[in-house]
Amino acid sequence: MHSRYSSARTWLAIGIIGACAVALLTGGGDALAQAKNPFNVGISEGGAVPQGGITGWIFAQQMAFERMLSSGVRAIKTDTSAVWALMGISFAYGVFHAAGPGHGKAVVASYMFANERALKRGIVISFLAAMLQGLVAIAIVGILAWVLNATSQHMKSVANLVEIASFAGIALLGLWLVWVKGRALFAALPLLKPAAGVSENSAPAATPHEHDHHGHDHHSHDHHSHDHHSHDHAHAATHDHNHEVQTLTPVLTKAHDDHKHGHEHHAHHDHAHGEPGHVHDEHCGHFHAPDPKTLGENFSWGTALATVVTAGARPCSGAILVLVFAVAQGIFLAGVAATFAMALGTALTTGALAAVAVLAKNIALRYAGQGGARGVVLIRALECAAAVAVFLLGATLFLGSAHTL
Amino acid sequence: MTTHLTKLLALAILAAGIGAASPALAHPHVYVAVRSEIVFAPDGKITGVRHSWTFDEMYSAFAVQGMVKEGKTNQSELNELAKTNVKQLAEYSYFTIARAGGKSAEFKDVTDATITLDAKQNVTLHFTAEFKVPASANKAFMLQVFDPDYFVAFDFEKQNPVIMKNAPQGCSLRMVTPRPLTDEETRRLQQSAGTNDSPGADFGAKLATRASVACP
Repeated sequence: MHSRYSSARTWLAIGIIGACAVALLTGGGDALAQAKNPFNVGISEGGAVPQGGITGWIFAQQMAFERMLSSGVRAIKTDTSAVWALMGISFAYGVFHAAGPGHGKAVVASYMFANERALKRGIVISFLAAMLQGLVAIAIVGILAWVLNATSQHMKSVANLVEIASFAGIALLGLWLVWVKGRALFAALPLLKPAAGVSENSAPAATPHEHDHHGHDHHSHDHHSHDHHSHDHAHAATHDHNHEVQTLTPVLTKAHDDHKHGHEHHAHHDHAHGEPGHVHDEHCGHFHAPDPKTLGENFSWGTALATVVTAGARPCSGAILVLVFAVAQGIFLAGVAATFAMALGTALTTGALAAVAVLAKNIALRYAGQGGARGVVLIRALECAAAVAVFLLGATLFLGSAHTL
Repeated sequence: MTTHLTKLLALAILAAGIGAASPALAHPHVYVAVRSEIVFAPDGKITGVRHSWTFDEMYSAFAVQGMVKEGKTNQSELNELAKTNVKQLAEYSYFTIARAGGKSAEFKDVTDATITLDAKQNVTLHFTAEFKVPASANKAFMLQVFDPDYFVAFDFEKQNPVIMKNAPQGCSLRMVTPRPLTDEETRRLQQSAGTNDSPGADFGAKLATRASVACP
């Protein structure tokens, strides 16, 4: 028994460490990219380190891409049907470019992991973010370069402002997610308490999902007749009770005190009060784990929209460059076409990334369902870590760039 | 528990893969062809490097955006831009590593920056990065130009990338292209990609082509 619960804690610790690693990897890579290069186009972006093997090859391809983009734009001056070739190249550029670092992708992926279970919705969100990214580039270059004929330095400062605003937005979105997910995590934490109590006291306890100890048949209880509604429980409709952790009296009393805090479904059923024929006493360490099916099903359009805006507000350097080049060639619309094609390509890659995040989340949820209390806490901890990652990413990027204001 | 751990591990690897792959797939946005003059004083010491950097056509279009009026550019506007560029470049030591006998030279502030446009409207930035202390050419002198972030990809021009100006007789110049990274170096580089640490200045140096000067 003892080892069972200590391994549960180890498991939890591994999960949290894993989530932190994800946070560091997605966040850290982006933070690397934020030095303002003298030759930036208003957007903080790093590049690659050319090296042997596959990266060296990609590096060479990128240079070829840039050349194809510029010659693609120029070709349209003499032959408008060349726009299709340009769009094809731009699409491919978008696919590959989006495979590089970008906090937009980190935001989308973290958001997906923290919130999303629905694959389609996840893909729609990344598609919208990519489209917005294209539109912002078109708006900046369209208004400043095409209409106002502003200089590159002006464009840089506007793009820089947009970028700083989007960093602030990411930090705020992260803060909001930390608040929501942090509360959910704290609400779930007491679920672990009975287990901890058992292992500390080395008291015997029933294995989860065994309800027949002490001769109580929990399933015979008519839950709907209980005074559940005096408890603040979140899953009123389903009552998919997980009779998970059951303990003996000394431990139970302590556990019940803890359960008063934040436990959505009060563990201590006052069944004994005024319920004749109900042989249900305080030995009942009734554990109501939130239904795994409802975990992550806390979708809000507001948060989704905020994700689209924060992930998509910051244009990519490649789009700005091709648009300005098109303006210089006197064919702004060619740049617009190229940018939309790029955005589509980006959407493909970020959509795939979003799908992976949703898939990961769903796998995690599936085994959280098997893991009972520990699973629930683990998932909430992971969600929380993803939220923290969004916040840290936004805060780091914002602090790193605010001094350029 | 074992299956849980396996799944967890699989997830972590997946996530780590996405995270690690991203920085590695980044790429530069600006391409510069470098031509440099190593400038010698009459006493045979090297006083600095005069750079001419020609930018790719997309960045060139960006750089002079808003300055081209009826197909013409205003030279004073271009020089303003050049001034802005070198002011920012100072924070990056002009992306230039000049080393004499293993010691890196420091640079004075650049005062002579100009921009010219070629027939294809490509921008070339000219400036002299003068050393605070002239460097001895008797010890091994080497010059490299690179952006450690690789937002800008610097490459020496194919023809006459580096010349020596007023060099004493007997001085020789040789371009050394880098050897591929060893596995150990690649590993260190990849490790640094997931953190805020830079892979170490020596990495950019190992990867960049260098001009090597030897004087008797």
